[in-house]
Amino acid sequence: MTGVVKRFGSVTALDHVDFEVARNEVHGLLGGNGAGKTTLMNVLYGLYRPDSGQIRIDGKEVQISAPRDAIEAGVGMVHQTFLQVDSYTVTENIVLGTDLGSPVRLDLSDARKRIVGLSEHFGLKVDPDAVVEDLPVGVRQRVEILKALYRGCSLLILDEPTTNLTPQEVDDLFRSMRVMVDEGMSVILITHKIRETLAVCDRMTIMREGRHVATVTRAETDAEDLAETMVGRQVDIDPAEDEDVAATAAVAMGAVEATEVADETAPPQVVEYETGVEVRDLTVANDHGVRVVKDFTLEIGKGEIVGIAGVAGNGQVELAEAIAGVRPIVSGSVRLGDLELTGRPTVEWLEHGVAYVPEDRNRDGILPTASITENLVLGSQRNPRVRRGRLIDWKAARERAVEAIRQFSIKANGPATPCGDLSGGNIQRVILARAFAHQPRLLILHNPTRGLDIASTRFVYEQVRSVTEKGGAVLLISEDLDEVISLSDRVLALYAGSLNGSWPRGAVDPYEVGRRMTGLQDAS
Amino acid sequence: MSTVETPTPARNAPAPPPGPAARAGGWVSTALPFVGAVVAAFLVGGLIILLLGYDPVRAFDAVLTTSFSSRFGIVETLHKTVPILLCAYAFAIPLATGKFNIGAEGQLLVGATGGVALGILWSDLPMVVLLPCVLVAGALAGTLWSGIAAFLMIRFRVNEILSTVLLNFVSFQLIDYVASHVWPDRGAGHPATVVVGDGARLPGLGERPAMHTGVLIAVVLAVVVAFWMNRTASGFELRAVGANPRAAMVHGVRTSRMAGAGMLVGGAVAGLAGAIEVAGVHGRMLEGMQSNFLILGIIVGLMARGSMVALPFIAFGIAVLEVGASAMQRTAQVPVEIVLIIEALILLFLLLTDVVRHRLRRAAQ
Repeated sequence: MTGVVKRFGSVTALDHVDFEVARNEVHGLLGGNGAGKTTLMNVLYGLYRPDSGQIRIDGKEVQISAPRDAIEAGVGMVHQTFLQVDSYTVTENIVLGTDLGSPVRLDLSDARKRIVGLSEHFGLKVDPDAVVEDLPVGVRQRVEILKALYRGCSLLILDEPTTNLTPQEVDDLFRSMRVMVDEGMSVILITHKIRETLAVCDRMTIMREGRHVATVTRAETDAEDLAETMVGRQVDIDPAEDEDVAATAAVAMGAVEATEVADETAPPQVVEYETGVEVRDLTVANDHGVRVVKDFTLEIGKGEIVGIAGVAGNGQVELAEAIAGVRPIVSGSVRLGDLELTGRPTVEWLEHGVAYVPEDRNRDGILPTASITENLVLGSQRNPRVRRGRLIDWKAARERAVEAIRQFSIKANGPATPCGDLSGGNIQRVILARAFAHQPRLLILHNPTRGLDIASTRFVYEQVRSVTEKGGAVLLISEDLDEVISLSDRVLALYAGSLNGSWPRGAVDPYEVGRRMTGLQDAS
Repeated sequence: MSTVETPTPARNAPAPPPGPAARAGGWVSTALPFVGAVVAAFLVGGLIILLLGYDPVRAFDAVLTTSFSSRFGIVETLHKTVPILLCAYAFAIPLATGKFNIGAEGQLLVGATGGVALGILWSDLPMVVLLPCVLVAGALAGTLWSGIAAFLMIRFRVNEILSTVLLNFVSFQLIDYVASHVWPDRGAGHPATVVVGDGARLPGLGERPAMHTGVLIAVVLAVVVAFWMNRTASGFELRAVGANPRAAMVHGVRTSRMAGAGMLVGGAVAGLAGAIEVAGVHGRMLEGMQSNFLILGIIVGLMARGSMVALPFIAFGIAVLEVGASAMQRTAQVPVEIVLIIEALILLFLLLTDVVRHRLRRAAQ
């Protein structure tokens, strides 16, 4: 692939990306969230059409405008979410969409034989007659790989394949990948886990912010080098952007009175806080029942900002949801002051002052068809604050919405504008306005400034500061390391659902955080 | 990990499909699509009548004026409005939570059974006692019927469309049994129960033909429902679940409880419709009394597009067409089914305006 450009509206998701994979190799495609890894592969698989750029396979230029073209050209892709018919057997799922010969007769015995053959050959153990909905995630993934192999692919793309696998299943998968490349196939592994890449890849390409950063062979790199390139605190940041980052950081620092954060040689600042929030031995499962947060313990003081740095997919969403009272807690407890919140319904968490700014704004944050006014009321509809008598006081709510639109500079026609009509940044402003509306005692922010401009980011930081000044505890979970470091009183690194290091303000070494959050170095 | 995001604070908001209850544009922009859809539907309907060899002018004259040309027409129209309106609520209230109740006719029939049972068993009681009992029994029986579907939906994730539709068929057997074996009226020549006691009849208003007071109950109910859905916390939560169940859950709304509550209220309203039909119109329960209220309720519920304020007016409009339909058959010999076609066309054109508006908005950007 050469010079691939893909824009979504005004956003450039892929900026002249060059990428190549050789025969007989496992090629790692590495990068953080939003780096463009999946977008690039979706272009190769025909799900997106590039705005410009060329794709050559075996030296021949090919036009791939739909997955069908990609499959014909020998490209197969396994997505993070599987597209399978739950009530069909493994064999039926695999042959679905292929040429079955006769439109009337359905004889799958030959297909079944081929599938058994492929499965044995590549070490992808699966029962061809099992019904897919009865299978665990790991096996369903094998089905998906077999689907690609059955269609005769010579280049297999795996998008974050290890997310829901047990270590044993990961080993099996990597063994199968080796068999494939030994037979002349190529495998692309999209991942953000450095250990994985080093374990299985022959070469790796690192992407950041829609650009190709580097391609290296395993022999010429090591984990540390990869971590630094991926986290992106090295030389090749473009100057304009560097300024942005610096400005953002400066803003945050400016809002902090009399702390010399910028100076990394300053002695670590240790402030004694009164305990505001206590999280004990928290274990949380993801939607597939896999425990992705394990024995997580954390205290946040009143007026303290604790920042959690980590690469997406290490349990952040589940952790945030559990501490926000949204996701059931498998074991452990969350206490707010003297108040045990574990096991109570979400509405009580909200009533006691827990405010949550979710990462996935559209899915978790707003009612798209409801107005800004209504969205701002959401979550406190049963609270006396927004009611007059037993009814919701919409007049007062509308006035507050007008005020919020002004204060948060939400670009909208008025408080009656449906939230679904707003842009991503403005939706985030509505969500933030809601979270800040009632002095929260615990504020959980997950990637709060993603997609916001500098001014709005600054405004958010100021608001966060005003929450802490009034004694609120803040948990900031972010993939933006600069944001975490500049805003937090204490920085924690999260890796594989557990804490892997903690630094007080002023004693944070970004490189060390980077190593810890990518699991290259364990907390000692 | 979900990575759906809109990464920039772009000045131009991407235009998602307009919501079913986009209350942005005020009265004119809400009413305009309605008027347009009605006019277009009548034009196409007129064309069909013409092609069938009838006179569309005479047909439409009958359809549109019968309701208003005599006292009988007005009363008849109001009587028709009540079950249509209540069945529309039975559909639209669960729909606000994103659930489809296609069981209004079953709930209506079971509600009628509940009402008629008390009306016959306690026929000697005075009206002040018996009539409220009959109406409440109807509502409770309807709740019970939709409650079966709600329970299956929440406890076992049984699709509510399937369960409510299938329960309709069960209810047909139920009323058949009640009307032919429990309290049959042998002289009726059609499966029907004996008449209820006088105390179970809704009193009439005005000279003959009198309008039964169930109409007033419906008016009060319309106000209560609009108020409940728009002003109370539970009404808000109900709508929130329909708009985005994930976000509602994150913000403390117990989504499955709300979805279940919507189904129960829907069943109660349909059951009440059954009791009112018994106490106000028929004085008994008879087979076929559910008429086509289920389908009309769905049409009205869909046309209202989430607005509980607009819904009663639409129900009245549909009742006008329904009453006019039989007059049309008498005076212009056009089959009554034409009116159902027109009603369906109104709905289709109305939905089409959503698409047009969406396109226009996108083009404007």
